[in-house]
Amino acid sequence: MAGNGPMEKLQLLENIEKDIASAIASAGKALEELAKDKPVMKSIESNTTAFTKTLESVEKGLMNQINYLTQVSTGQPHEGSCYAAQKDLHMSYHRHAHVKRRLEELEKIRADTKPKVLQLTKSYSLPPMAQPVPGNQ
Amino acid sequence: MSQQSASAQRSIPQSKEALLKSYTIRLKDDVKSMLDNFTEIIRLARVEEDGQVSRTAQAEQDQYEMQVRASNIVRAGESLMKLVSDLKIYLILNDFPSVNDSIAHRTQVCKRLQNEIDAKLLSVRDDLATDLYELEDEYYSSVYK
Repeated sequence: MAGNGPMEKLQLLENIEKDIASAIASAGKALEELAKDKPVMKSIESNTTAFTKTLESVEKGLMNQINYLTQVSTGQPHEGSCYAAQKDLHMSYHRHAHVKRRLEELEKIRADTKPKVLQLTKSYSLPPMAQPVPGNQ
Repeated sequence: MSQQSASAQRSIPQSKEALLKSYTIRLKDDVKSMLDNFTEIIRLARVEEDGQVSRTAQAEQDQYEMQVRASNIVRAGESLMKLVSDLKIYLILNDFPSVNDSIAHRTQVCKRLQNEIDAKLLSVRDDLATDLYELEDEYYSSVYK
């Protein structure tokens, strides 16, 4: 939400750039229509109106931006930064990667020693009990 | 020495003011140029009575003037685009409220992510401590120690 502030104003300037292009396009269409043998007056008038209205909105938008900058700009450069928080985040990523690596090593050790544990279990197991022969009882 | 630094500090805002004033002048000049040239082209389209110049020469002159005025409209449009580009740069560098908001937001995001990662690492540590306690208990009470 806080990041929308500068993006909003930049987006407004982007729209003003598009309006400048559309104003010139409207002027071109109006003159193109006027150059025909049988021009349609309505089309010329609508394109001319579009040109003047768009130019007015461009001028108004840019004046608003200039007035806003006149109010907020100082003579000094901005010296704030988010480097400290970013560095702390990088360090926590490093801690996370380190813990992950150590846990993977433990997992590897566990996987490697599993067959040895089975062998140990077999060597220490009791001999099988003697089975009673049926018929002797 | 202190007077020089004070005057230097005073001169910096003046140059910013002069810069913004130049932007205003450029804006007004370019818009006026576009409107005037467009109006003159429309005016040239009017068929006038024969004057001292022959009709062919007049037509050639009108065509040339229209081309020049059309080029002026395009040039003024490009100058307005350049002005918008300069305003974007000025906005990014000098719009302190937006820059402060952006920095505060980015700092908040970084701190939130850091807290999440550290909380997960702490929970892993607690789980490992519990398991280690049980494993140690098992190991030290077995014949293999």
